[in-house]
Amino acid sequence: MSLPLLEVDDLQVVYPGRKRFLRPAPPPIRAVNGVSLSVGRRRTFGLVGESGSGKSTLARALLQLAPITAGTVRLDGADVTRVAAGELREYRRRVQAVLQDPYSSLNQAHNTAVIVGDPITVHRDIRRGRERDEMVVELLAQVGLSADFLHRYPAQMSGGQRQRVSLARALAVHPDLIIADEATSALDVSIQSQVINLLRRVQREQHVALLVIAHDLEVVRHISDEVGVMYLGSLVERGGTDDVYRAPTHPYTAMLIASIPVPDPAEQAERRATRRRVAIDAEPPSPADLPPGCPFANRCPLAMDVCQTEPPPEVRAWHGGTVRCHAHTTGPALGGADISDHLTHSTRSTT
Amino acid sequence: MTVWRRLLRNPLTVFGLVWIALLLVCFFAPGLLATHDPVRQDVTLTHLRETPNAEYWLGTDAYGRDLYSRVVWGGRLTVQAIVIALGIATAIGVPVGLFSGWRGGRTDRAIMWVVDVLFALPLILLALAIVGVLGTGLVPAMIAVGVLLSTRFARLTRGVTLAEREELYVDAAKISGLGSPTILVRYILPNLMPVLIVQVAIISAVILLVGAVLSFIGVGSPPDSYDWGAMLNQGREQILAFPYQVVPSAAAIVITILAFNLVGDGIRDAIGRSSAPPKRRPRRDAREPREQFEHPDDALLSISGLSVEFPGANGEVSCVLDGVSMSVGRGETVCVVGESGSGKSMTVLTALGLTPEPGRRTTGEIRFDGRDLTALSERQWRTIRGRRIGMIFQEPVAVLNPGLTVGAHLVETLRFHLDLDRKAARQRAIELLKLVRVPDPERRVHEYPHQFSGGMAQRVGIALALACDPVLLIADEPTTALDVTVQGQILELLEETQQELGMAMILITHDLGVVAEAADRVAVMYAGQVVETGTAAEVFGAPQHPYTQALLATMPQHHHGHDGELTVIPGVVPSPASWPAGCRFHPRCSEAIDACQNTHPPTGDDPERLVRCLRVHEIDPQPRAERGASDRNVVEEPS
Repeated sequence: MSLPLLEVDDLQVVYPGRKRFLRPAPPPIRAVNGVSLSVGRRRTFGLVGESGSGKSTLARALLQLAPITAGTVRLDGADVTRVAAGELREYRRRVQAVLQDPYSSLNQAHNTAVIVGDPITVHRDIRRGRERDEMVVELLAQVGLSADFLHRYPAQMSGGQRQRVSLARALAVHPDLIIADEATSALDVSIQSQVINLLRRVQREQHVALLVIAHDLEVVRHISDEVGVMYLGSLVERGGTDDVYRAPTHPYTAMLIASIPVPDPAEQAERRATRRRVAIDAEPPSPADLPPGCPFANRCPLAMDVCQTEPPPEVRAWHGGTVRCHAHTTGPALGGADISDHLTHSTRSTT
Repeated sequence: MTVWRRLLRNPLTVFGLVWIALLLVCFFAPGLLATHDPVRQDVTLTHLRETPNAEYWLGTDAYGRDLYSRVVWGGRLTVQAIVIALGIATAIGVPVGLFSGWRGGRTDRAIMWVVDVLFALPLILLALAIVGVLGTGLVPAMIAVGVLLSTRFARLTRGVTLAEREELYVDAAKISGLGSPTILVRYILPNLMPVLIVQVAIISAVILLVGAVLSFIGVGSPPDSYDWGAMLNQGREQILAFPYQVVPSAAAIVITILAFNLVGDGIRDAIGRSSAPPKRRPRRDAREPREQFEHPDDALLSISGLSVEFPGANGEVSCVLDGVSMSVGRGETVCVVGESGSGKSMTVLTALGLTPEPGRRTTGEIRFDGRDLTALSERQWRTIRGRRIGMIFQEPVAVLNPGLTVGAHLVETLRFHLDLDRKAARQRAIELLKLVRVPDPERRVHEYPHQFSGGMAQRVGIALALACDPVLLIADEPTTALDVTVQGQILELLEETQQELGMAMILITHDLGVVAEAADRVAVMYAGQVVETGTAAEVFGAPQHPYTQALLATMPQHHHGHDGELTVIPGVVPSPASWPAGCRFHPRCSEAIDACQNTHPPTGDDPERLVRCLRVHEIDPQPRAERGASDRNVVEEPS
């Protein structure tokens, strides 16, 4: 078994509360709270979670755009937790990104030749000119855009076309890893599938690894080999995509999967029944005020006393991944097994 | 290109631009415009203090010097002064602002403290002090003015840089490996240009004014020169003997300041898109025969043949809604589904008489509970909107006024529509919050919107919509901004309250999963038209329109496991300005034949199950898995 490309170990990103004059400092915000995962070479890791789960902060930390408070990140075995300024360029060559918003992630003032060409100049020292333009055209072809797009500005392109340009920009430096942070969520349904197919194809042909971050579980499911589920800064479950979706071991994962609306009235009715079984009508706590125990405890149908006071340990799940839930060690002591049979009927909403 | 065209459309801006062009001619070649030597005095003493005439176009001064030529040469000095001061102001201000905004934090606060202090001091007094040190003369005066005005550019640049620094494209540039100087110069500066250009025009006017004042009081140009400020002072000396002498220089100053300001405003408008609506042109032709349906008499809301037009950029008219028909029965849920720009929100807004400006309803009937809604006055609308028809929006927090408590919102609505007294309204408000399952309503009724999470705020939005027991609830993407686990809760809440109160509901969404959960009947929209209607079972089980079929097939849910490519619909969603002729879906349709390019597809006669497709009888009713279509060959829109 060869070394994974990217290894993240117990990563924490904590933002201190902003100090105010003559008032006590607010508590720090634990945006990413001890996440461990690894991405294999040429593999796709999908990270799902709702807003505030810390998945985008994790991406920013891995891109050296947010400060890492604790933990380590390794790329090919080398420590890249805090990349020195002199080595940042080489790191950027190896780790690229496609960001969320196709409208603000491209500079309106430049055309495609510059947007995709600039990284080539920075990393391969090829100046502006015909040679660089030819390389850009080739990159555009890889993402399904014709050479006409060389001289187009972002304002002249649709959302899907812009995301293709973003991908071409990332590919320009032959990276080892591309982090796609909600790369398709701003697109129309009919355009989204084009971009997903493109990501998959590019990954196959260019031999890059992908870290796909999305709130859309179906997108992640379709594209990922492995999946991680985040909730309030913690990675609550991690494992092979098909296994996790078929038989989740964390109650939050089960609730998340039951909440995906499917375009089929009969199946949707079934899901609603499951959702009623697993969902509790409560609000998630604020990341600035996390409970001492499990962050999911107040919405969990299996919650026990221990869940309120102690953070759950990470245990091995049946699918070979990990899960963070007390139910596997105490109470029913499931030992990493499928949790769906144990989700009891719960009274929804207390009012 | 279009910015130029918009700029030149405004006659005042054109006037300003022409005037500035003339000033530039004065600067580079005053001899071309001047008719006399500006400093030669009339030694014959025959042409002193003349008013305008054929020889001396603007008359002469007390020494017989031609005022017109002096104004022209004075223009040269003016431009020179502006160039010096502006050059210094931007050369200092812009880099300082860029640096300060980019670094942020402590550096930024320190720099801005100095800038703010300078900014607060009176300009002319400071200029006088600096001139005192550097000595009099136009150039020292303008250096002083330039240094002082650099604070304005620094503040502006810093503000824009601070905002741009947070933009995603800056992150993207960092990820690409570009260094800070490159990002500042190549990425941020170009986006700063429009604001800077506007500022340059307006600051030019300030410089001219300050320069004129300094020369007027004798610390700028020499008192005897043809500087406009100095000329004004020369005129002042003659004010009793020959009052006219001040007019040419004063007019030059006023018109030039006006010109700079007009150009500045013009550029700002041209960049920020003029708020004045473009002129309407009459419709070119009645393009398509429009179906008029007889909806069932008992329909609660029926929309028939509704069209809405928007004037476009070049006097073109784009038809954003084209013959839309749908109906909602009592107690029924109809889902309107489509991609962005398909016209789903426009349909309900128009049905409520809220067509966004400058749109206009051209045809169509809207009946609600037997009443024609198209002819209502604003006063009559008030008894319907918010009262008999409730509305829920996509951004729950945006709908609520941050300065009012949640209770105040509800109480206000209840008192306005139902004429309840304050106590009864408060009681009812708490009941409503209970109905939408806001926990602890007695306490939360006193809280402000920012204390509510997205899901809770949407519950308040629903409570507001339900306040007056409406018979119809219109929900426009009510769960799109919410997390998926919250979405389920909200959909269920909507459904349960609907059953409890016996309301009908129109639910607008782009998510077919939401449709599957909630809908009794479905209307699928594409490019401003309804392309298919039917019951949920019909539309999901046996979709007939190729668009519906393809949409269902592209959903990742239809590809369990993760092998194989997703089905794609090639091409892009067209915009209202470029809707294809014939069937609007034909360029992206896998079933299209030649006839689809120029035939308007019929919709059939049954308003409850219409399908807008020429080939409806030849196409298999099923979700269409059009596999593969390697997207390397995807036809891109040639826009």
